[in-house]
Amino acid sequence: MTSQITTPRPRQDASRTPPSRKRQGKWWLPKPLLALPAWAWLLIFFVAPVGQVLWFSFGYKPGIFGTHANDVLSFDRYAEALSPTFFLTFQNTLWVGIAGTLICLIIAFPVAYWMALKAPLSRRGLLIALVMVPYWANFLVRTIGWQVILAPEGWLSHLLQGLGLTNEPLEILYTRTAVLIGVVYNYLPLMILPLFVAFDRVELPLREASKDLGANRWSTLTQVTIPLAKPGIIVGCLLVFIPLMGDYITATVLGGARGNMIGQLVASQFQTAQNWALGSAMAVLLMLIILLTVAVAALIVWVASRPFAWRRRLVIGEDS
Amino acid sequence: MTNDKQVRILANATASRIIGHELTRRGFIGATIAAGTAGVLAACTPTGGPAPAPGATGGPLENGLSIYTWGDYDDPELLTQFTSDNGPQITLDSFNSNEEMISKLIAARGTSGYDIVVPTGVYLPQMIQNDLLTELNLDLIPNLQHMDGAFLNQVWDPGNRYSICKAWGTTGFVYDNTVISRDLRTWGDFLDAAQNEASGKTSVLDDPTGLVGMYFWSKGIPWTTSDPAQLDEAEDFLVNTLAKHVAAFDSYPGGAAIPQASHVLMQSWNGDARIGILESDDPDRWEWRLGAPDTELWMDNWCIAKGAPNPEAAHAFINFVLDPEVQLVNLDYIGYHTGAEGIEDAAADMEMLDLVFFDDAQVATMHPWEIGDSQQRVVDIWNAMRAAAGA
Amino acid sequence: MTSPATTGPRGASASNATAPPTRTPPRRKPRVPLSDRLLGMWGVLVFLFLFAPLLVIVVHSFNSGRLLVAWQGFGFEAWEAMFTKPAIGNAVWITLQTGVIAALLSTFLGTLAGLALARRAGKWTPWFSILLILVTVTPEIVDAVALLPWLVFLGADLGLGIFNDGIVRLVVGHSLFATAVVSYLVRARLVGLDERLEEASADLYAPPVRTFWRITLPLTMPAVLAGALLSFTLSLDNTVVSAFIQVSGSTPWPVYVLSAVRSGLRPEIASVSTVMLVLTLGAIALVAVVLKRSGDSTTQIVRTLSGD
Repeated sequence: MTSQITTPRPRQDASRTPPSRKRQGKWWLPKPLLALPAWAWLLIFFVAPVGQVLWFSFGYKPGIFGTHANDVLSFDRYAEALSPTFFLTFQNTLWVGIAGTLICLIIAFPVAYWMALKAPLSRRGLLIALVMVPYWANFLVRTIGWQVILAPEGWLSHLLQGLGLTNEPLEILYTRTAVLIGVVYNYLPLMILPLFVAFDRVELPLREASKDLGANRWSTLTQVTIPLAKPGIIVGCLLVFIPLMGDYITATVLGGARGNMIGQLVASQFQTAQNWALGSAMAVLLMLIILLTVAVAALIVWVASRPFAWRRRLVIGEDS
Repeated sequence: MTNDKQVRILANATASRIIGHELTRRGFIGATIAAGTAGVLAACTPTGGPAPAPGATGGPLENGLSIYTWGDYDDPELLTQFTSDNGPQITLDSFNSNEEMISKLIAARGTSGYDIVVPTGVYLPQMIQNDLLTELNLDLIPNLQHMDGAFLNQVWDPGNRYSICKAWGTTGFVYDNTVISRDLRTWGDFLDAAQNEASGKTSVLDDPTGLVGMYFWSKGIPWTTSDPAQLDEAEDFLVNTLAKHVAAFDSYPGGAAIPQASHVLMQSWNGDARIGILESDDPDRWEWRLGAPDTELWMDNWCIAKGAPNPEAAHAFINFVLDPEVQLVNLDYIGYHTGAEGIEDAAADMEMLDLVFFDDAQVATMHPWEIGDSQQRVVDIWNAMRAAAGA
Repeated sequence: MTSPATTGPRGASASNATAPPTRTPPRRKPRVPLSDRLLGMWGVLVFLFLFAPLLVIVVHSFNSGRLLVAWQGFGFEAWEAMFTKPAIGNAVWITLQTGVIAALLSTFLGTLAGLALARRAGKWTPWFSILLILVTVTPEIVDAVALLPWLVFLGADLGLGIFNDGIVRLVVGHSLFATAVVSYLVRARLVGLDERLEEASADLYAPPVRTFWRITLPLTMPAVLAGALLSFTLSLDNTVVSAFIQVSGSTPWPVYVLSAVRSGLRPEIASVSTVMLVLTLGAIALVAVVLKRSGDSTTQIVRTLSGD
């Protein structure tokens, strides 16, 4: 999140460190104490409850009305959790997660580029504020707005029929397309913002330098702008992908049965089956798999970027 | 579960926290809501047990009342009327299935904040056994006298110690005759249409039991079966055959799907179907069918949750809704028989009564759910079907 | 090809950005390349996409029918109902309270943590970073299912009655992710800033407290404000965690809406959403003004907002 590629500030080097450094007690608190409240808070309300879930996941469900018991510990719930239902649901979720993230990226990339580099400077603040505006209305209500638009008797259907583009009422609700519309709509701003910032940081002189060096628009884009915007792309993808993987409401509002997500399965073990042991095992698995997915994605990006970086260096080197 | 006598506590915030702690250790949950911020003036800890131990004694009503019930299950105007007549402001929350409501109560262990809950009768014994409900103080509910004896004193709660009939109903389906031209009669027809002309435009209840029931009824198998082979068969059909044709899992199509014509074939409870058809611009396109050859019979009940923060208001509310006039208004809105004596005659001039009242022959085809060994399996089937439908 | 002329390309690519009024009247409009025009059109389309449903909601708040989605006719019933149904006002009020408290709390925790991360790194830093990353990647549903039993344990078994309070529970649930986000923002801001200012202050024998209040905090302020705003926003929309841990009677607005979806959304939900939209727009404008006065441009605000 903190890449400092384009605006290299003079980093202070050791030789310039003032001698006062040794006696500095700049703040009145000793070192790690500043983070202590956050440590404590997260330990009590994140580590402990998640730890409790981890503990539950080794137990079992005793009887119809029991939620969990831990007198016999085993990994059986994990075996149980990795059922065909889990895999199928996870596969759907991953599909929606990846497709949703990619579509967000594809839609957001040109918009953010335009906002940061092409739109009139004086309007950029306004544009950014506008991107955020939908976020201030409840997401369910926003999505219901789409339901009105997409319904067979809805606005879009009437518009299309009025234009003579189709004679049939629009059949888009409760399909995979509807799932993606709902998801992309709700997560798009989270992609646009970091991309905007990334492009905004690619300052003009660099791109001009690229042009001056004879690069055309396309190679400026692919060899200067995109590599420099990479941190923004990564942040944007994470901001969309991670919450999306756990979200089970957004997808169902427009997608109905097609929007069944893994979060629903986990929730149902707690909300319907009262099987906390199994639900906990699923929750732990979900967390692990998301971590793993993110790690794999990071690895791929890292590997893919290596030849890219090398080539860039080579091109610039040749020209100058 | 315990024989403790009624405990009534009037204490300041600190004391109530300590007392609540003590009670908790004995299996009770002190209703020490808001001890930290608002300050609790009076914490009332209702207890259960065989001895009469009402959580309410007819004292002044609290300011709030929280009801956890099925969706759209009371006329909103009646709720407003209760508030303007008696004071307590009502918070409504809704659930999709009994399982969901019970899970919430179990997980929150008396801290859910709910006063009134509305479980289906067959779930009551276990809820009582697990100490999720508070005994009613029937002295505070004189309007009980207006109820039809046939709906009192049920097997799940002899003597109405914990529950009073709220409404009873059944399950059927609604279809759009502009799309489905043939006459659907049975669950078999429903399942057939769902795979053909209504494919991708069918919704089913978001309720594990109703889903599995639909298949068993169509096959003439008792829906409470715990025979693994029959459950396998149901799972196979629902997951591998039906799931891909289902557009939505919706327990309340009457709320939006019927008025909006979102789907053409919808499994639905009778009262909800009636609400939806009455709200539709074009009621004539909708056909209601009672599930056949067999279907569900359920009776929902007014109960007070353990740890209810507002027991006085809860009793006052239950008494209020049992008033015959109020029951009539409610029946007109929700479309379910509320169990009042003679309500069938009183409601004679209302609309679409064939969705509300059923004759003896029809009632004979309705069977209540039973909680048994198949419970977890039924939920698993429901989850598997949801997963398959999402693929 | 390699001429050092820099004004040419700069003028071309930035012409529409600066729109120079001082130039001599151009004979023809500065040439806007086709690709730029396509980009502009795409931008407009995306904004249409973002705003279409909001427009629907505002329009449907004047729906006189029973259901939000089914238009029956024009009327102000929904706007009246908004005031006659106390449950709605209550839910919105709970949400606003929760949002403010959660934002203050997570900003406090996150700011200190961010300061410590940026300026007081030590052996604990990697562990703390791992914790923050874990908090960030944990899906909401896992937080939700973990917190409910835990809060019940604290409230019922340990007798800490405060955890039976609806707002306290919501604040706890909403503060986790937000704390992590604020820490990132503050850390990122400080890492990008020169530490020498603070050192200079210390060299001039300013007491540490004063250095902190006069130098460090003002420098961090944009990130702190952005973090607070973001925390508030996240809290405002939180549904999954809230639905699990809420105590009925202090039901927040998103959970109220979720519950209402089941029995058919009423038009008054659109009215309330419209009001909240307008109110929060006002709040953003206010924050923007404050930030501007502290000398940051809008883009800097946004930069800070998205953690850069």
